Parts: sequence; C-alpha cells; structure tokens
Amino acid sequence: MLSTIPKSWNVKLKPHLFCPGCGHGITFKQLGFAIDGLGIQKEITMGVDIGCSLLAWNFLDVPTIQTHHGRTTPLLVGYKLVKPKRIVISYMGDGAAWGIGLQNIIHAAYRNNPVTVIVINNENFAMTGGQSSYTTLPGTITPTSPVGKSPELGAGFKGPELIRNVAHKDAYIARTTVTNPIHLLSTLKKAILAQKENNNFALVEVLSICPTNWKTGAKASLDMAFEMEKTYPIGEVK
Amino acid sequence: MAEKIFITGNEAAVRGAVDAGAKIMFGYPITPATEILEGWIAQTVTDKSLQYLQTEDEIAAGFGVLGAVLGGAKAFTASAGIGHVLLQDPVAMAENMRLPFVGIMMQRGGPSTGTVNFSQQEVNLAIHGGNGDSFRIVYSASNVEEMYSLVIKAFSAAWKYRFPTFVLGDGYLGKMKATVELKKLLKPVESKPILSESGAPTWLRNCFSSEEELNTLLNNHITDWEKNKNKIVESESFHTNDARYLVIAHGLVASATKETVLKMRHERIRIGLFRPITLNPFDGEALRTVARGAKHIFIVESAYGQLGTIAKAELAGHNIKAKISQISKPAEGFTPEEILKEIKKHNA
Amino acid sequence: MIDTTKIILAGEGGQGIQTIAKVITEVAAEQGLDVSYIPVFGVEQRGTPSVAFIILSHEKIYYPRFDSADYAIILQKRAVASVLAYINKKTKVVFDSSTVSVRDLPDEAIHSFGIPATQIATEKFTPKAFNLIVAGKLSRVLNLDEDQVWQKIEKLLGKKFKTPEIKEKSRQAYLSGRKYIFELKDFSRPTFQPATGKIIIKNAEKTAQILPERCKGCGICIVKCPVGALKFSDTLGVFATPVPEIDLEKCIACGNCFRFCPDGAIAVEKNKKLK
Repeated sequence: MLSTIPKSWNVKLKPHLFCPGCGHGITFKQLGFAIDGLGIQKEITMGVDIGCSLLAWNFLDVPTIQTHHGRTTPLLVGYKLVKPKRIVISYMGDGAAWGIGLQNIIHAAYRNNPVTVIVINNENFAMTGGQSSYTTLPGTITPTSPVGKSPELGAGFKGPELIRNVAHKDAYIARTTVTNPIHLLSTLKKAILAQKENNNFALVEVLSICPTNWKTGAKASLDMAFEMEKTYPIGEVK
Repeated sequence: MAEKIFITGNEAAVRGAVDAGAKIMFGYPITPATEILEGWIAQTVTDKSLQYLQTEDEIAAGFGVLGAVLGGAKAFTASAGIGHVLLQDPVAMAENMRLPFVGIMMQRGGPSTGTVNFSQQEVNLAIHGGNGDSFRIVYSASNVEEMYSLVIKAFSAAWKYRFPTFVLGDGYLGKMKATVELKKLLKPVESKPILSESGAPTWLRNCFSSEEELNTLLNNHITDWEKNKNKIVESESFHTNDARYLVIAHGLVASATKETVLKMRHERIRIGLFRPITLNPFDGEALRTVARGAKHIFIVESAYGQLGTIAKAELAGHNIKAKISQISKPAEGFTPEEILKEIKKHNA
Repeated sequence: MIDTTKIILAGEGGQGIQTIAKVITEVAAEQGLDVSYIPVFGVEQRGTPSVAFIILSHEKIYYPRFDSADYAIILQKRAVASVLAYINKKTKVVFDSSTVSVRDLPDEAIHSFGIPATQIATEKFTPKAFNLIVAGKLSRVLNLDEDQVWQKIEKLLGKKFKTPEIKEKSRQAYLSGRKYIFELKDFSRPTFQPATGKIIIKNAEKTAQILPERCKGCGICIVKCPVGALKFSDTLGVFATPVPEIDLEKCIACGNCFRFCPDGAIAVEKNKKLK
C-alpha cells in the first residue's frame, strides 16, 4: 500500500500546524523515517521546545512533552536518568538552542548526557513573526533589523562548532539541511544511534526554510537554504 | 518507631527526602542550602538506588526534576534566594501541568544576592513567584524536626494533590544542629510515570492557542485547589485559649515567639501564638477562631509584611476588633527578648 | 452608519484577514471616528482561524471586544466556529459563498449575504486578490470613501505591487468587490471547497497518490521534480490553494516529491511486478 507519510506520524492530526513549505515538516518527514527505519517508535520519548517547535507537541505517535526556552534538554536529561532505556529526542529551534537555552546544551554535551538534540536553524524567530536571531546572516532585513542586520551583531552563530570545543570526546555533532533529505535522514539516524547504541550525547543542526517569514516562494526558499551552507557548512562537525 | 538523633536542619531535610521515597535530586550549590545537595550526594554513595545531578544552574535543576517526575521518580531540588528566583520558571510549568514538584528553600536575605544567613523574605516568591494564580503548597518549618517532617509531608502533598510544593526553611535552620525525633512515615505516597511508555502516547503541553482553552484548564485547577485546600492547611495555636494578645508568626520566628509567650505568661499576661504551618493555602478559619478573643494582634516576621499581608486579608471582613501591629525586621532574626520588647513597645 | 458598529472578521490564517481589518480601521480613524481593532491570535501563524474584532464609533470606545456583532464577515468554512458566539438575529452575516455554504451558518444568521470572493479572485484576478475584493465590499457596506480606501491599500500593500500591471489588477479586484451587488440565490453549494479524499493516478509502471486535504500548496514538490512532471491544477487543497497534478508519462518515480513534501501529501511508487 502506497503511503505518503512515515508510520510514526500521528496521522489523526494531519494536516499538521506548520505553515505551507515549512522546513519543520520536511525534518519531521525524515525523523519519522529514521524512527520507522530503526524500528524504535515504541522506545522514543520526544520533547519539543517553545517557538514553532511546540506545534509538534502531538506530531509523532510517541509520548511528547513541551517546554520552553531550551529547557527541553535538561528536562530530558532528568527523564533519561530515571528511564535509561528510553530514547529521548530534544527538538527545538535556533532561538532556544543557541540563545536562551545555550548553556543547557553546552553542559549536556560536556557531561555527555545521552540525549539527541535536534536544532532547526531557520535563521529567525519564526513564531513571533520572523525577528532577527543569532543565526540571522548580516544584511538580512527582519522586524528587529529593519535596515538589515548589522555585521557588528555577529556573522552568524555557529552552534555545533562552539559545542564541539567543550563536548565530551564521544559526543556526536553534525549539521545537515532540509534541501538534502537523504543526508538529513542518515544524519538523524546516526544521532539517534549515538544515544541508543553508545549512550552518547548527539546534536544535529538542521538548516531549514521559513517561507512565511522569509516571504519567499518554494524555489527562493530552497535557494536561500543553499546560500546558508556557505556560512554553515554541512557534515559531521565532530 | 521514633529515632532520636542530633543533626542539622539541612541534614534533617535530606533524611526527610530519603524517608519520603525520593530517588533523585537535582541541585546547584548555594548557601545556605548547599549541605542538602552534599548530604544527598553522600547518601547516593551508599544507597545505589539513589541518583543525583549537579546541574549548570537552578533552571536546569528544576527542569531536571520535572523530567524525572515525568518518568515516575520522586525527585526534588533545594535552593535559596536568587536560586529560588530561577526555579520559579520550572515551578510555573509544574503549576500549569499539575506535575508534582518538591523544592526545599532555605531562605537567605534579599532582594538579590542579599546575605547568606537568614530571612523570611521568600514567602511571596514561593507563593506568588510564577506568572499564574499561585496554586502552590507552601510549608514553613519552625525547627530542625520540622525540616524532616514537613519535607516528608511535602512529598505526600505534592504527589497526592499534584500542586508544586515548597518547604521554606532558612539559613539558621539549615545550619543549626538540634536533637530531633524522626517519626518515619509508614507508607510513602506512590509515584507513577506520567509520560506513557506503552499503549497510547501521552502528549503534554503547557501552551494553548485560545484564551478559552487555557481558562477551562485553569478552572479545573481552581476546582481542585478549592476542593483540597482544607485538607492541606495546617496551623498551630499555642496558648491561645484565653489570649487577649495574639502573635502571628511563622518559621523560626514563631519558635522564638513561643519562648516569648511562655515568659509573658509567667508575668500573667494573657498572650498566645498563632503559627501557620502552611502559608499557602492558609488556615484562615483557625486564625479567626483565636483572633476573635484578642484585643491586640502582633504580626512578627523577618520580612516587611509578607506574612502580614496574608494574615490581614484573612482577618478582614470578619468583625475582628483587635488592633493589628506589624513588627518587621527584614533579613534579620528576632531573639525571644526582642520580640517581647517589641510587643511591649507597640502595646504602650 | 449608526453610532457604533461592531464587526467581527474571521478567516484562515494567511488569507489576509488582518490586512482587511487594518485598511478599514485606518480609513475610519482618518475620518475622525473612534476606532478599535484587535487581532485575536493563536500561536500558529497559519492553519488556524484568524479573527479580528473591529469597533467603529462616534463615541469613546473602552473595550476592544464585544458579545454580539453588527457585522460578521466569514471567509472560510473553518472560521465559522470562531464567530458563532457573536452572531444574533440582528447580525448581518457576510460570507464567502465560494468556500462557505449557507448551511454552515448558525440558525441566528437570518440576514446573510454571500459574495463569491474566492471565485472572483481566482477566475478574474489571482487568488491573492481575495482580500482586496472583501475589503472593497466591506468598505462599501461601511460607506468608506472609495479613493481613500484604495490609497490606504496602496500604502499598506504597495511593496507587493511590484509592477504597474499587478497594481492595476489589484485595483480592479478592489473595485470589483466594491461594485459587487449581493444577490438572492442558492448559497448551499460552494464551488471552491477544498477537495477531499485521495487522488490516485496509475499507469502500467507507476502509481501516484495526492491528498488534497493535506496539501498546503507550497509548491516545493514542483520545484524539486527533476523532470517537470508536476504542476499546479485546479483542484484546491486544505487552504484553498491549488494542489499539484502529476504527469506520470514524464515522472521517473525518483521519490523527490515524496521526500520533500513537508505535509505528507504526495507519493509516487513503481508498481510491483506481478510474478
């Protein structure tokens, strides 16, 4: 039987709440396939953060908890300590990961807490209307950078490269992109297996697209995501 | 079976947590609560069923507690002052989602870093520190023994009623050593996983799209709170039967007041003490019963009217004729003699 | 206009509901009325009802919301639920008769007026002109000056009018809404409702499946198809946007559309060979 979605999606709540063309949908497609492919749906506990990520609070047919400000990671660190057999996935955007909740990721990586963190980097605060983020590239016009983001505010925050320097030697850190679903799938699988098989911390940053806030059509959105790779290179960071 | 031992308040709190069935503690060192974290970690060395995580900050500690609780373990944290401020974030989430949460807060002087010693200034914070309607159970311990018994009670209340629960102590109580009798609880309340591990998945969120949706949820919280608050409230009335003078005090200040009351009784002054054991919910009924016969009420606290605001609201509109005096000494303790002096000064 | 007019405007997020509200209220404010406008919003940017409460008055307005509306403007079937509570027997209900059936309206909606805004926009202009047609009709109903309203639209949407042709077409869309006369007719069968069920297309080698109820019309599948086998069709998806159609003769069953679709709305598979 031909199916359009992964088995692990919560099919009753589709269409999901993400915007047309949203990179979260593409990521969840491949995350779903990763879970299906590894046959681990029954072992997964999902945590989603605030921002657009929270729209996935019932996206997958797995137990899910929603928190805020990047605290999904310490919450799942706590959960994993008492439920070591569960596979926990901490899902959030670049605002939660690289801004307000940064130190929580740093320390989870440093301590090698067995948690798989997925960071959707769409270069803006999407749910609040596309404001400038740490990952927004210089020159970009957003509601909080109306004349273009000043280069003095940073050249684009490279989270995985930062974490690499303090992370435990066995941690898995990589960057992938929604423009390459095959790479996205294999990276997500590796990040889940790092936790499942070797009890390691894993972090995947996913370069994503935000047609609603970027005000771009399908082609322009994907082109912009390719452009992002110049600043944020794809591949294993550690 | 009661055991009598000589320990500090912080050690008593650790014993309380162990005896209540706690399995994991998350914490970040802060004076004067650090010994609770140290004491718990020492327990984990000998008892392999116990775990701990020293986190990067109090926010992570609080969210770690929530994670462990979702997994079905009894978990807790301990902190003070500015650490208590940071903990309000996870506590507000617990309040929204009705997750059991236990926090032992050893009050220190504030605002901000303040002092590391003593205060009763974290009452408002414990009760009202979230962006909600303050559905938190707050106990105030007045001696080392209560650092044990109220911690046990806090776990029972948190898991039974599913409201976040605080035990307020202070720097003196944490560091002072006293002989205490440990009355063990026979049957600690049970804890089960909240996130499903098989069958239909649980999807939990604390963010809602419409006002109506959230309001409906909160109305359920209100119903539960109103239904249970009379089962939760606790207070002590000390020499209040014939009291013409009534002191309202909590925590260690209430303990000091007991000595004052006994001294004044010796001088044949008809004075008594009302001591709330739960600051929220508050035993207003018991307070009004003892306040009716009083002609002068003294509210004594090491804060500027935090207990006073609660007590006055409970007394208002009930035809209580007593004069009310507020005696405040923010971030500083009272000796029994000082309380006596203050009462006499206000009654002059 | 009576002394105070209370309007509730509801549609799907992304339909331009708040733009209509801004145009109407800013013009009314310039005319010296006391005006209040508040958007009602959830956390999602798209996919949930977008509602605006508007009050226009000759007297001071103290609170932005109300219990009953003088006008209820309903622009999407899924938005009906959001306005039910504000409709009484005196409320004038204006609805997009190309997407909402008169049967979807509550019994209290005695005075209901249909305008096939989606149909007019799609057939005569572009789907995006939809909110200009509604703004045109609503501004006429409220007796707001034709030129003043157009100037406001130009000011608010000017950046989107990238060529003089788009600008003129937009103006024509606005005017067609303005000139539209409510008719008495059967409004029970909307022509522009999202399609339901599965679209299954087969040939000897391949089978394709498209689910309009999940398709949000983002167009990523069309962009990512390496052989140009996909294009937009006349069928409408969940947000009343066009759904792709597939030319199986061109299709090489590479799986790109399936892998990229954020909504799980499309899949193509090679047929299994019978033994």
